[in-house]
Amino acid sequence: MSDFKPSYDSLLEPTRRHFLGTAALGLGALALRGITGEAAAAPLPKGMHFPAKAKRVIYLFQAGGPSQFETLDPKPLLREKHTQPLPDSVRQGQRLTGMSGYQATLPLAGSFVDFQKYGKSGIEYSDLLKPLGEVADDLCVIRSMHTEAINHDPAITFFCSGNQVAGRPSMGAWASYGLGSMNENLPSFIVLVSQDASKDQPLYSRLWGAGFLPSEHQGVQFKAGKEPVLFLTNPEGVSPHARRGMLDALGKLNADQRAAELDPEVDARLAQAEMAYRMQTSVPEVADLSKETPATLAMYGESVKSPGSFAANCLQARRLIEKGVRFVQLFHQGWDQHGGLPGGIKRQCQQTAQASAALIKDLKQRGLLEDTLVIWGGEFGRTAYSQGKITKDSYGRDHHPRCFSLWMAGGGVKGGHVHGQTDEFGYNIVKDPVHVHDLHATMQHLLGVDHERQTFKFQGRYYRLTDVAGHVVKAVIA
Amino acid sequence: MSPHLPILLGLAALSSSLAAEQRVDFNREVRPILSDRCYGCHGPDADKGRKAGLRLDELAGATKKLKSGDRAVVASDLEQSAMIHRIRSTDPEEIMPPPELDRPLSAAEKDILTRWIKQGAKYERHWAFVTPVVAPLPAVAELTWTKDPLDFHIQATAARLGLKPSAPADRATLLRRASFALVGLPPTVAEVDTFLADTTPDAYERRVDALLASPRFGEHIAVSWLDLSRYADTWGYTGDKAMFAWPWRDWVINAFNQNKPYDQFLTEQLAGDLLPHPTQDQRVATAYNRLHRMTFEGGSIAEEFRQDGINDRVMTASYGFMGLTMECARCHDHKYDPISQRDYYSMAAMFGDLNENGLLSYHGEVPPPFVRLFKSDTDRALETKLSMEVRSAEQSLKAIPPAAPTTAVGVPLPNVYLPLDVFTKTGVDDAIAGNKPAKFERRGSAEDLQLTAGVKGQAVKFDGDAGFILPDFKQLGRFDALTFSAFLRLGELNTRATVLHSTGYYTGDGDASGVELLVTQGKLRWSVIHLWPNSAVSIETVAPLLVDAWQRVTVTYDGSSQAAGLHVYLDGLEVATKVIRDTLHAKPRDNALEIGSRSRDAGFRNGSLDEIQLWRQALTAAEVATLHGKPLAGVSAAVLKEHGRLRTNPAYTSTWQNLQNARRALATHQESAPAFFAMEHSALALPSYVLTRGDYDKPDLTKPCPPGVPTHVFPWSDKLPANRLGLARWLTDPQQPLTSRVVINRLWAQVFGAGLVASSENLGMQGDLPTHPELLDTLSVDFIRSGWDTKAMLRRMVLSATFRQTSTPTAEAREKDPANKYLARGPVLRLTAEMVRDQGLLASGKLVEKVGGVSVQETANRRTLYTFRKRTAPPDNMLIFDAGSREICQPKRLNTNTPLQALVLLNNPGFVEAAKQLAVRVTKEATHPAAQITQAFRHVCSRTPRPAELAALTDLYAIQKANPPQFAPPPPPSAPVKLDPSAKTDAKAKVKAPVTPQEPVLPKMPADPALAALTLVCSTILASDAAVTSR
Repeated sequence: MSDFKPSYDSLLEPTRRHFLGTAALGLGALALRGITGEAAAAPLPKGMHFPAKAKRVIYLFQAGGPSQFETLDPKPLLREKHTQPLPDSVRQGQRLTGMSGYQATLPLAGSFVDFQKYGKSGIEYSDLLKPLGEVADDLCVIRSMHTEAINHDPAITFFCSGNQVAGRPSMGAWASYGLGSMNENLPSFIVLVSQDASKDQPLYSRLWGAGFLPSEHQGVQFKAGKEPVLFLTNPEGVSPHARRGMLDALGKLNADQRAAELDPEVDARLAQAEMAYRMQTSVPEVADLSKETPATLAMYGESVKSPGSFAANCLQARRLIEKGVRFVQLFHQGWDQHGGLPGGIKRQCQQTAQASAALIKDLKQRGLLEDTLVIWGGEFGRTAYSQGKITKDSYGRDHHPRCFSLWMAGGGVKGGHVHGQTDEFGYNIVKDPVHVHDLHATMQHLLGVDHERQTFKFQGRYYRLTDVAGHVVKAVIA
Repeated sequence: MSPHLPILLGLAALSSSLAAEQRVDFNREVRPILSDRCYGCHGPDADKGRKAGLRLDELAGATKKLKSGDRAVVASDLEQSAMIHRIRSTDPEEIMPPPELDRPLSAAEKDILTRWIKQGAKYERHWAFVTPVVAPLPAVAELTWTKDPLDFHIQATAARLGLKPSAPADRATLLRRASFALVGLPPTVAEVDTFLADTTPDAYERRVDALLASPRFGEHIAVSWLDLSRYADTWGYTGDKAMFAWPWRDWVINAFNQNKPYDQFLTEQLAGDLLPHPTQDQRVATAYNRLHRMTFEGGSIAEEFRQDGINDRVMTASYGFMGLTMECARCHDHKYDPISQRDYYSMAAMFGDLNENGLLSYHGEVPPPFVRLFKSDTDRALETKLSMEVRSAEQSLKAIPPAAPTTAVGVPLPNVYLPLDVFTKTGVDDAIAGNKPAKFERRGSAEDLQLTAGVKGQAVKFDGDAGFILPDFKQLGRFDALTFSAFLRLGELNTRATVLHSTGYYTGDGDASGVELLVTQGKLRWSVIHLWPNSAVSIETVAPLLVDAWQRVTVTYDGSSQAAGLHVYLDGLEVATKVIRDTLHAKPRDNALEIGSRSRDAGFRNGSLDEIQLWRQALTAAEVATLHGKPLAGVSAAVLKEHGRLRTNPAYTSTWQNLQNARRALATHQESAPAFFAMEHSALALPSYVLTRGDYDKPDLTKPCPPGVPTHVFPWSDKLPANRLGLARWLTDPQQPLTSRVVINRLWAQVFGAGLVASSENLGMQGDLPTHPELLDTLSVDFIRSGWDTKAMLRRMVLSATFRQTSTPTAEAREKDPANKYLARGPVLRLTAEMVRDQGLLASGKLVEKVGGVSVQETANRRTLYTFRKRTAPPDNMLIFDAGSREICQPKRLNTNTPLQALVLLNNPGFVEAAKQLAVRVTKEATHPAAQITQAFRHVCSRTPRPAELAALTDLYAIQKANPPQFAPPPPPSAPVKLDPSAKTDAKAKVKAPVTPQEPVLPKMPADPALAALTLVCSTILASDAAVTSR
């Protein structure tokens, strides 16, 4: 099976050969009518519209909405005005959630943690993110992100699929659909969920779903342990040799069926079974972190030894993209600090900061950072004021969609760069706002994809990740 | 033009390429181009979407003189038609469609537009908006082949492509195909044998009738309707708690099994509650409109999610019944179809006619409106009887006349008295109960509550966030009387402030449940709530309170479950109120009384209270006056006489007790029956307005939208009621162009694998054209004439010669029609997620057959449609086989082919178990391995293996038997899987110990070498093409 092609291509093959072989060229999407009955927009050669700066993406998704005030967006004024009410002139009557919307007062909360400047670029990171200081000149911090939704479920769905409504393909599914896999033995979109995170807000399979794209583009969840991919492991008592025997027999059955039924789909089915067999070897291989050097392991921190931890998943992500996986998305929950923020965010950063920095260093030392885009961030930010009372050593922050921060690295983005600015209260954006659609457009741009041209016709409409919006943020591109 | 192009452009173009000046067909050739490339900017969307003032979806717009002085289209005049210049231009500034659309016109498409204008630029109504008529039977070459009129259409169309009908399928294959098409399961070995042995001419027909009569029929046909109606077992958002919905799923199964005419099927689901004297079942059917997701995520805004729910209903019904993408018009006029934004919000008015809350209760109670599910007619009759008893007791009470009291009016001793003069360490003391203080609640510091000068001694001033709780003051049910009295002083004209409540932990109005005294816009609102707003009694004062003045507020509730039992008094006199709600359907939750504050709500900010007293009874008006020190002389005679009636007439007391007993008996009986969400029209439903850009918080009050339909699709008759029942009548009007076409297309897809319109979800302008328009129209008319008889229509399809053909193509047929759109051969189906699992269960002999009931785990071995569907985490093996998450309406499933499917078939515990049980079964049924293997193959694939197949499997058996399985030491036991999907989700940042990932429990091979080898053989069979397809 050395000439085996990625799954969707082989599935299309009989149809495509027919059309391309005999029909007039230039009909584009019309000609590429998949066996599914949906008209597929024609993936251009390699799925790209222009040369890509990034071949792959690692998205370190921080679910729950990390506070920008204790991480990436220092606001000394809030410390000065600690406990004073948020001025109405700043809020401008904008909506609040029902959690703090009825609070008698909205007291401003200054960060409990200090910020320092790092690297040549002198970008400020909070002391909780100290490890990132070592890679400060590789990071591009965006402080002017904004989104539309104010509650977790709609907001995280919006971030992961470009729409609050369920049923749209996720970012990784679009990348898989548009660009395909670079390794036929592994899925092109893989999801890793931290096991060491506080599960304050749940995750949903729709966040890595294929939506209306063919199901092969849905994210495949990798789990630590003896079955990294669901149903990958043979039943107990079935040796690889026995499985090989079964596949050989299956091959004979299907060959006979093919001869009897004259249906090329039978071949495609067998090819998929063979790929499954190869995955049974390739997946445990790539999931085996034991071959990593002690130096590498040390870089990611002690928790890398706990299977499924954020640190272990960062290392796993590097191994996956090394093998050609197109899109790896990590999810780390626990950032939803409505109350007890100082303690909570400290724990979150302890779990994630060192490994995030290690991932950047590790990619860099392997020459992978230049064409791997790494993004760190959550679905929205948090309020400048405290939800609930401010006490001597604690406060909380409610959801805030109007501005928040994230960072990117590698894959063609500017290192040591800050993009966008919020007002001194950290409530509104004053410069260079970046909408979620803009981030998606930029991410696709770096992957060589024009976000307006990568479409899929569904229910009579051409859909894209950025819906009807989105602008590439040129200023963050190196 | 390439000679091969016609294949792409369909049949009409075939002939056009032979004669270049052939007339163009507007619907088939021109409109698809205009719609796909032009309407996005020059279509029906009248809003800012339309460019250059040009609209090309109608003649007047297309031929209008534009600002530029040009006309896009001048009939029969290519030179004057700007469109021709623009489409032929090479200038990127000029050319249409613009390059950024990235869908340029091909030469053939330009030719079509050119010929269209040359031939007079005639517009035609979109085919799907024209009432279908029966087409004449086309002439066919092979008359004897046909068995049904539909075969004429199929044969004639195929002949135009140069295709001839195929030979009949062999009978075992046909039986398998028909079984999957009608019941979703393969035939058993015995059924195949019986059928093969039955050589009578009507053997197949009788078999088909038996399949249609089987209860399995409804279980199978229901599945695609469950996809369309987004049926699931959980609510779908954050937390994803269990949703009680399966009685509706059973209604659907039964409707199909009873062959409920489709017009009734539609009407009962859309408007069962509006039918005259609706039955319990008809009301259950309306849950169709309640199956959408609902959230209880803290902080969510109810109106946002109420609008999302309504949108979901409109979207689901328009896909399911009309084959239209109405939701596009939520934010702007539809870009392609004649559906304006006003049409959309008129439909939203139809579907938003409930008195409902957009949010689910945090506690997951069934969100009203609901219907009680009584198990039997006897129980329903008992409800009627108990209701009559309540009415009769009410009459008896009414009959007791007012009379002057026989004793002096006195105020009973309160149960609680908080003078609020001093703070203790933890709260304030109760002067009655002595050592049972009211405790501080939600207090961050000592300054949050202040003692200030009150009416008598000190009073307490609230900050809006902190308050008191009375831990022992509970049991405030719907039949428990209560009086609250206190001096109250507003520090501001609060828009919203909680003075008193027993609703416990509150995340929003979706779950306020208990008594509640609010200040809203300065007025007092006094309520007893089960779930707001549908199940509550509530009154509000007409005049606002004074600011910065002490007034004694007394509120009473008599325990009657009626708004008439609520009273508000100011300074001893009853004040005018209006009824806000008067429908309390169930008991409130039982929480301690809290004063001055509530979680996640506005407390009594800047307000003060003094001298709080509480009674577990309703004071009379005379007692309230006395309490306030009003001389009784100043009180009206009526008040005094009413006091006498209530307090000093022993007959009243006993009659009141009787009435309350009757009410309790009725409530107990009602609440013994589960509440089930349903639709219920309410005059209190919020009116519908156009929402600017679809934003829930931007209603355009100048654009109210009374209930209505998109009349450009099909006209509305003023004789119809402007509600969901009228909508159902409009949809089932025999002249309605869409409804029957949509059903026929869906039934066709179930039988033949794809619809006559491939985009079965969209028959609008951007949808695909029908491959067989006359056939679709004829069947649609036949269907209505048959009385919307679903089984009869399926029977025709399955008995047709078209269905009975072999699916094996000739090389020529495959070349000419690779996707088999023209059906010159029989259909091939990859089994669905449900079929592939059900087949394994049936073959293994372990399928547990029982129609309906609560949803189950996979290990229950029931048919897959009964598997518990958790929306945020659907069963993995089903997702992998293209089943959806049921979060939203899914009009059709894709049909993919992936390595993960192979992994499911070979390694999923359920499939491995099926293989094992199948091996055990055939070991009992046959002795020799070859016979056992043959039998296993027949159980799964419904036919005898061919020699090469049998050889491959017997070889596999021999090798595996010689290499028996080796086992690792047994794994440690793991925790049982919980069925309840509810998860703790409150955002309390607690540090938890890292969870070690739970290792999956792998299925295990049998130890016996022969059985293990046979199990592997069975597993291989289950994964083979012969198993996962119906050919």
